[in-house]
Amino acid sequence: MLAAAACLPGCALLADPPHTAALRASPPADLPPRLERSQVPFFPQTRHHCGPAALATVLADVGLPADPVALADAVFLPSREGSLQLEMLGGARRQGALATKLPPDLTALLRELAAGHAVLVLQNLGLDFAPVWHYAVLIGYDLPARELFFRSGTEQRAVLPLHTFEHTWARGGRWAITVLPPGQLPATAREADAVEATLGFGRVAAPAPLAQAWAAVLQRWPANVLAGMGLGNARHASGDLPAAAQAFDAVAQQHDSAAAWNNLARTRAALGDDAGALLAAQRAVARAQAAEPTWLPAAQQTLRDLGLAQAQPVTSRQ
Amino acid sequence: MSLFRRITATSVAVSIVFSGMAYAAPAPAVAPAPLIGTEQLASALAQSDSRSALMATLDRADLAAALQARGVSVDALRDRVASLTDAEAAQLMAQIDRAPAGADILGVIFTVFIVLLVTDILGLTKVFPFTRSVR
Repeated sequence: MLAAAACLPGCALLADPPHTAALRASPPADLPPRLERSQVPFFPQTRHHCGPAALATVLADVGLPADPVALADAVFLPSREGSLQLEMLGGARRQGALATKLPPDLTALLRELAAGHAVLVLQNLGLDFAPVWHYAVLIGYDLPARELFFRSGTEQRAVLPLHTFEHTWARGGRWAITVLPPGQLPATAREADAVEATLGFGRVAAPAPLAQAWAAVLQRWPANVLAGMGLGNARHASGDLPAAAQAFDAVAQQHDSAAAWNNLARTRAALGDDAGALLAAQRAVARAQAAEPTWLPAAQQTLRDLGLAQAQPVTSRQ
Repeated sequence: MSLFRRITATSVAVSIVFSGMAYAAPAPAVAPAPLIGTEQLASALAQSDSRSALMATLDRADLAAALQARGVSVDALRDRVASLTDAEAAQLMAQIDRAPAGADILGVIFTVFIVLLVTDILGLTKVFPFTRSVR
């Protein structure tokens, strides 16, 4: 009786955390039971530098430049003696990759491995009141043995029980990302996370890879207005105006978006299609007046600019 | 470092970052771009969803100064600030001293050491390389 009473809190504490329990009860039939991406390179961390080391690991895995020392300049924050998650995203972008957040679900991480992607995770190895934050790279799993494999810190192949990892991962907010070249998306990414990753990539990327990244988002989520606009803007920036007009036209037709009509008008004007530009600018103003007042000044400005551009050749002929 | 030197260093760094910012990421709000930008549209959509209260206004120079005060070298400031979206920059500014900072496994104090030793053995944590979970 006493023993049973003493066991109660302890046993509850030792019960499997939710995702581990679900994986044990019904392992997804479409996942191989074991998998290890042993080709993922290893960069042993120096003191406090698990962020740069983990980032170098996932970058090198997809063939992008990965020097932990240079990456430390990009992500390490001396006063905190560590690296913050947002700066890890920024650091990946500057090396030419998209860092995309994954759903907070342990099975999603395994699915990424099955899709050939290493996964960078944040763990709190300690407890909530005594956190020990740590970045590691998940490279494999063995479901029957209930183990996960990592490149972690100074360990080339760290092995953690599934339930221990889930505890440490849950205490870190279930944060995980893939780091992939433009044009590739994580298998399990949610629409909003893919868009956010690509918006961030646009901060530092050249127009051509950015267009490639938006095209991939648009291909998976054809109804996403930002992906269509992003594709148009990136193509415009790279100088491919006919392709930009095509992208804006598709968004404008599909969503009746004032911003898309506006950009279409300006792109058509630059291509010398004055009639088409005027039509698009009128649609932009009409839509902005009806439903999207944010873009009214921009749309009206476009309409004015078109009028000036069309008036000029006439006066110069006189 | 004396307060005066610190302020001077920060303002120098900020002005360097600022002077480069125009090239790194032209701010659409200041000089209207001929096309409506993707991030501009994203923030307009987010506001109409009333999702992001953080967005409002953000001075990237403030973020650069905050990073510099926390030990980031002047050379690295501009690129680090420029690689974030407006929403991310605002979020970083708000959480810079609270957000998790992934580091490593050293520097745990003694009382906590005992607790973590037990939780390590129970498989709830994994602080020490020499522990092995009982399960």
